Amino acid sequence: MKAAPFEYVRPSSAAEAIALLAADEDARVIAGGQTLVPMMAMRLARPARLVDISRLTELSNIRIDGENIAIGAAVRQAVVERDALAAEKTPLLARALPWVGHAATRCRGTVGGSIANADPAAEIPLVLATLGGSVLARGSRGARTIAAGDFFLAPMTTALEDDEILVEARFPAWRHARVGAAFLEISARRGDFAFVAAAAQVALDASGACVACAIGVGGATHVPTRLAASDAFPGAAIEESAARKTLALEIADIDIMTDGHASPAYRRRASIELATRALLAARDDALSKEPRA
Amino acid sequence: MSGPGRKFRYISTDRRVREDRRFVVGKGNYIADLAVEGMLHVALVPSQHAAARIISIDASKALASPGVHAVVGGDEIAAASEPLMNGLDTPNVRRFPLAVGATRYMGEWVAAVVADTRALAEDAAELVEVEYERSPHVIDAEEAYKPTSPPVHPAHGSNTLLDRVFDWGDIDAHFAASDQRLSLRVTWGRNSTVPIETFGVLAQWDPWNEILDVRASIQMPKYADQIARALRLPMNGVRVHYDVDVGGSYGVKRGIKHSVLVGHLARKLGRPVRLIEDRLENMRSGDAHGPERVFDIDVAFDNDGVINSMKMRALDNAGAYAGRAPFQLGKPIGAIVGPYRIKSVRYHAVSVTTNKAVEEAVRGFGQSPTNYAIETMVDRVAEAVGLDRVEVRRRNFIRADEFPYLIPSGTRYDSGDYHAVVDKVLARVDWTALVAERDALRAGGTLAGIGVAACLEPSGGNSSFEPLLNPKNATTTWMESCRINIDALGTINVAIHTTSSGQGHETLVATAVGEALEIDPAKIRVTRPDSLSSLPGNSPVGSRMAIMLGGAGFHAAHKLKAKITAIAARQLGCAPAEAAYCEGAVSHGGKTIEWAKIVDIAHRQFHDLPEGFEPGLEASHIMQTPTGEALPTADGRVQMYPCHSFEFHVVLVAIDPVLGKPELRRYVIGHDCGVVINPHIVKGMTLGGIAHGIGAALLEEFVYDSEGQMMSQSFMDYLMPSASEVPHVEIVHHCTPSPLTVFGQKGSGESGYLGAPAAISGAINDATRPLGVRFNKLPIRVGAIADAVAEALEKRKEAP
Repeated sequence: MKAAPFEYVRPSSAAEAIALLAADEDARVIAGGQTLVPMMAMRLARPARLVDISRLTELSNIRIDGENIAIGAAVRQAVVERDALAAEKTPLLARALPWVGHAATRCRGTVGGSIANADPAAEIPLVLATLGGSVLARGSRGARTIAAGDFFLAPMTTALEDDEILVEARFPAWRHARVGAAFLEISARRGDFAFVAAAAQVALDASGACVACAIGVGGATHVPTRLAASDAFPGAAIEESAARKTLALEIADIDIMTDGHASPAYRRRASIELATRALLAARDDALSKEPRA
Repeated sequence: MSGPGRKFRYISTDRRVREDRRFVVGKGNYIADLAVEGMLHVALVPSQHAAARIISIDASKALASPGVHAVVGGDEIAAASEPLMNGLDTPNVRRFPLAVGATRYMGEWVAAVVADTRALAEDAAELVEVEYERSPHVIDAEEAYKPTSPPVHPAHGSNTLLDRVFDWGDIDAHFAASDQRLSLRVTWGRNSTVPIETFGVLAQWDPWNEILDVRASIQMPKYADQIARALRLPMNGVRVHYDVDVGGSYGVKRGIKHSVLVGHLARKLGRPVRLIEDRLENMRSGDAHGPERVFDIDVAFDNDGVINSMKMRALDNAGAYAGRAPFQLGKPIGAIVGPYRIKSVRYHAVSVTTNKAVEEAVRGFGQSPTNYAIETMVDRVAEAVGLDRVEVRRRNFIRADEFPYLIPSGTRYDSGDYHAVVDKVLARVDWTALVAERDALRAGGTLAGIGVAACLEPSGGNSSFEPLLNPKNATTTWMESCRINIDALGTINVAIHTTSSGQGHETLVATAVGEALEIDPAKIRVTRPDSLSSLPGNSPVGSRMAIMLGGAGFHAAHKLKAKITAIAARQLGCAPAEAAYCEGAVSHGGKTIEWAKIVDIAHRQFHDLPEGFEPGLEASHIMQTPTGEALPTADGRVQMYPCHSFEFHVVLVAIDPVLGKPELRRYVIGHDCGVVINPHIVKGMTLGGIAHGIGAALLEEFVYDSEGQMMSQSFMDYLMPSASEVPHVEIVHHCTPSPLTVFGQKGSGESGYLGAPAAISGAINDATRPLGVRFNKLPIRVGAIADAVAEALEKRKEAP
């Protein structure tokens, strides 16, 4: 469990990091290292050169950027977990973060790293996909914005080019008065990769009718998936039996992943169950908030 | 008896565990802490195949790699050493530290690379080119048992290591006379104890003194003997250092192949060599998997739930080599009827080789799987006769007034009061309220169940299973020893002759000696001399040290007390029998001789010593296990372990019917291990045992695919319970002293683990019984529960 030999470089700017990546096709970005380092220790990953972006101050900010909360690639998960602005503007992210690994791994792991790693069971990518967020990528040919729906291509595979780094993740900040969120998952043990995770964020008007909705499932699917049913709920109050029926109808047809830990049938049933529960819990969370006068 | 019945000064009192101090502050002394000048490191080349002939090993690139000193293959090891020890009489199942000519499981070590650092050794290990020719393999034990299966060891002729039927009592008559019978099959998955510290060993060869110094993370009987035999050294040419802390074991720290390999490398290279398994090596090739067992049971019982007779076939998958693992089918013979008055038993024990990693001893040495089989059987009997599961157990329990109780297989249980423990536990849980809680959960749509398990922990380990299963083995001695020396300034020094892997032996022996000498145990120094300075012993196995090390310490202390009393009596002008010993001083007729004076006489005033006394104050005791000194009878009956602790588990499980994850809502264990020596140690053992049992029941399994590739090689896939999965556990104490031990103590090193898997399985089955769903295989996984429940609900929906 010793990594194969590699070089380690700590650039002083994002531009320098991009240049280093462009110059060496066997180079890889490292930020928190919570996935990459164990993979290297088992020699399942063998980068020739690590480009460490974790100390770049230009990538270490959490800020409001128009309609979004923008989280720099080097921001640790534990920092976002304790950030009041992020909690207020993206309640779903706040609900999801305690499910990410363990407290110790969140102190090292970054939000951007989790997104770039694109594990199908990871929580942060699910939040990004569910809310319809995006990432800002920068490479030797310039910067581009990639919508979450176009970013996650397959398990552990993203739209990032070899010389691109993820600069920041942009989570839409809802401006509605009554926003509620819920994040649920099932795994063998607390902190393990989820068999299924479900995320929901709901905005209600003063009467309790839904005005905005985002629902997604992860773990069950090859990439974190925002459900089309998200658009079915605005306009009326969310009721359990109708919600369950709508979600079941859609989930019955989505492509489910298979591995040794849980059967596809299990993942499908659990997806329906958890998506329904998450949606109802998000609704209840929103109902518990005072409507703006 | 329901209490200790004796007053103790230090035994059973709330005293600090002395070892905890160094462990808690991170100042243990582990193999990884030992850095010796010039030390070299080892990495291993693992086999990629379940079964293959090794055509060639090309080490040229590896040898040219930086910092590499040697690459060694199986042929060199086979020439330089004797095969490793087998427990059974299976001489053609030959095992060496590295694969010789053929590899027999995925991960088996094919070559060893020695380099300046472990990282360099791993770099070079990747460059070793091994050419294989694949051969047929067998993974499943039932397949391996068939005469047509490809033998893992062709020279042995088949895969069968052990195939023996024992008939104890009039089974046929008991079956014929019973009202009912039923059959069941249960399967215990391959798991283990997976210690936080993997196995490590450091060997140094001193050519000028011709001695091999070995420091290892070891928990194994006859360790030095086995190294000496394998490396063809005189036993006084191997010096094992016992003053090494061992970071967890519960049976599995038996790295004999590692040790022989490293011993050979150290001699060959003239440099200290250290091998510490990494996690992959530990899991796939450390030869430290636990039992994997299929039980087929036929049971005969009456309509009132009384069980008369049982036929059990236990088929164990030993993996690619024999080792000591097949004995794990033998030890449970000493408690083959559990706590029940089953009159006769047919036991068919089968051990087979397969192309999986090698099985090693794990906590309970086969007892926990057996208990799981017995307890599942008792639940089925209760179901068949329509009686409460606790009531059926009560009707079958051996009664307190029947001890000592002789079971059909020849072991006499020393003592117990099972009914009393069950009563106490039911009172604690409020059984009626617990049932109401379960039923309320069910009414709310949750699957809920209660599990119970009543199990024995045979303790005071001897090795009676050796002569029972191997006719060439006549071992009836399984001693432990202790030496006490009171130095010239009067302080007490106790020597123990083994390593410890978290059992708290220093606390244990100091408490026993302090109790006997009536001196504060905190003032007693405990040391561990090396194997050349040690008295004989058999290490902490078979839940034996409270009984055996506690006993040896007690007896040695009493020998010293007699010497002390005799020295003082001479000063007092009385016979030793007339003098009274109290807290280190000796009195007679109003006069007292103090400790310091007695020490002075012993060390400096020969003229005052009683006639025939040697100077100094030293005593030692080599203790034989109580009972178990006879060889087995011709019909296979033998006294196995002397003492029998009892545990009774009650657990309430709630399961979300869609998600399938069992949640342990309440966990209570009643525990009777006789007189407790240190309550903190027993509590720690019991809680840890239950956590381990939760793993066995729900999470932990070494999974192989049909090609023999191991699917759970790391903690990503081999799941151990964490703090989030282990509930608060309530322990209800009871004390039935053993009449066979010095304080009335019994063993507790396996407590909790012996009944938790059975109880949790019982609770899950109780939860799903209304749906007609049963689980007969451990571990019971989340997905399996949910899929079976969904299928049952679907069927119910379809039914008119």
